[in-house]
Amino acid sequence: MDAIPAIRVVDIRKSFGTLEVLRGVSFDVHRGNVVSMIGASGSGKSTLLRCINRLETPSAGEVYIDGEPMGAVEGRDRPLSEINRMRRDLGMVFQQFNLWPHMTVLGNVIEAPIRVLGMSRKAAAALGEECLARVYLSEKAREYPARLSGGQQQRVAIARALAMRPKAMLFDEPTSSLDPELTDEVLTVMRELAKAGTTMIVVTHEMGFARDVSHRVLFLHNGQIEEEGSPAQVFGNPKSDRCRQFLSKHLQ
Amino acid sequence: MFWEYRLVLLRGLAFNAYVFLAAAAVALSVGLIAALLRINRAWPFRWIGTLHVEVFRNAPDYIMVVWVHFVLPLLLGAAIGRRIEFHPFVSAVIALGFVYSGYFAETFRAGIQSIPLGHIEAGRSCGMSEFLILRRVVLPQVVRRMLPEAINQFVSLFKATTIVSLIAVPDLMYQVSMVIQQEMKPLPLYTSAALTYFAVIYVVAGLVRLLSERWRNRIYA
Ligand SMILES: Nc1ncnc2c1ncn2[C@@H]1O[C@H](COP(=O)(O)OP(=O)(O)OP(=O)(O)O)[C@@H](O)[C@H]1O
Ligand SMILES: [Mg+2]
Repeated sequence: MDAIPAIRVVDIRKSFGTLEVLRGVSFDVHRGNVVSMIGASGSGKSTLLRCINRLETPSAGEVYIDGEPMGAVEGRDRPLSEINRMRRDLGMVFQQFNLWPHMTVLGNVIEAPIRVLGMSRKAAAALGEECLARVYLSEKAREYPARLSGGQQQRVAIARALAMRPKAMLFDEPTSSLDPELTDEVLTVMRELAKAGTTMIVVTHEMGFARDVSHRVLFLHNGQIEEEGSPAQVFGNPKSDRCRQFLSKHLQ
Repeated sequence: MFWEYRLVLLRGLAFNAYVFLAAAAVALSVGLIAALLRINRAWPFRWIGTLHVEVFRNAPDYIMVVWVHFVLPLLLGAAIGRRIEFHPFVSAVIALGFVYSGYFAETFRAGIQSIPLGHIEAGRSCGMSEFLILRRVVLPQVVRRMLPEAINQFVSLFKATTIVSLIAVPDLMYQVSMVIQQEMKPLPLYTSAALTYFAVIYVVAGLVRLLSERWRNRIYA
């Protein structure tokens, strides 16, 4: 295993007013690994993910991407323009897809490569087609998002994140707002990404996915990592009672 | 009766169009700035934006036009110690532009706030700057959403351009009044003025509504 992890999270804390949501979370994600994050509603999973790409500013702690701190350069706070530059390295997929409805599917995918990475329209279109092919939506490139099913929209959102060629992908319950019959098409794409060696952090309630695909599983409780280990350990022989309770509720 | 006065009517109408276009440009740009101030996180900015909206939305067009033309130059002149005068066209554009910027600010604000935060966060996580997100993600959607309301406001603004004849901008009403003073035929002249305004507004607004609906429907189908 290489010395510098793709993502290193060190003692992240986050409070909203007096509400302490994250109470010191640390873990590493090595290159090409998949880390799944599970836990009850309100345990702080989304907040943790959002602190990693700084959609939320952590109250304390630091996140390192390939060894480079997200929040600071040379001991000073990183300015917003610099944070924007760091965010290119982290693709994010949201529960609600968040596609831009006024752009076509291809338009959504190539927007940031053109405007942020400065790619030519032609090069971006080629890259966009390639990313759409990876999520099996080549033939929908010229549709508007409103014409697609939820599962298709989420796959477009994955393609949009991939088009930035990020160092890692963050997924926040990517299938939770989908009808059950549409979750598989999204999970299939994610399995293929994992097999291709994509570094991923996945917040999920899909225990099957977490067990089959992840290298490590984190169980979050009350803003802390309560249990952590390989899928076999966490699902087969959890040490904490809370984790066992949670799993018995979610593994039918 | 139209035919006899067609040149007068057209010349006047052209001035209405100039005032309208220039005032609309002012109203949209100032309105957008005021809207961005109103939703700013820092309260002094919010306060300035709110003050702007309340002042201009509640000022009658007529009084604003007169005030900008006759009073504002005096105040500015006193401030820089020199006599200044505004060309009537300039006064008209400033006055109407600012009054309508109050309305457009509210339309913009409502439009911007109706965009889901998730769309903005998706932009952020792609590394887009806040300005780029505003320009590429937020405003294009806001424009589509606010179009029906904005078209109504444009119609009001066009109608309001008739009051600039008060400060001698040679618009349609002004031209017609001049001819009436010479020829003493108020009935055909005022009637043709009214019909001309009606026809122009009805046709242009109808056409714009039709086109904008087509454009909107393509996205929200
Ligand atoms: N912006 C915010 N302001 C105030 N409180 C917040 C904010 N965001 C999250 N919280 C609170 O932080 C806690 C953790 O929220 P978070 O969304 O991280 O949980 P989660 O583990 O993702 O839950 P879920 O499974 O329901 O998505 C919750 O109590 C929530 O109400
Ligand atoms: Mg969540």
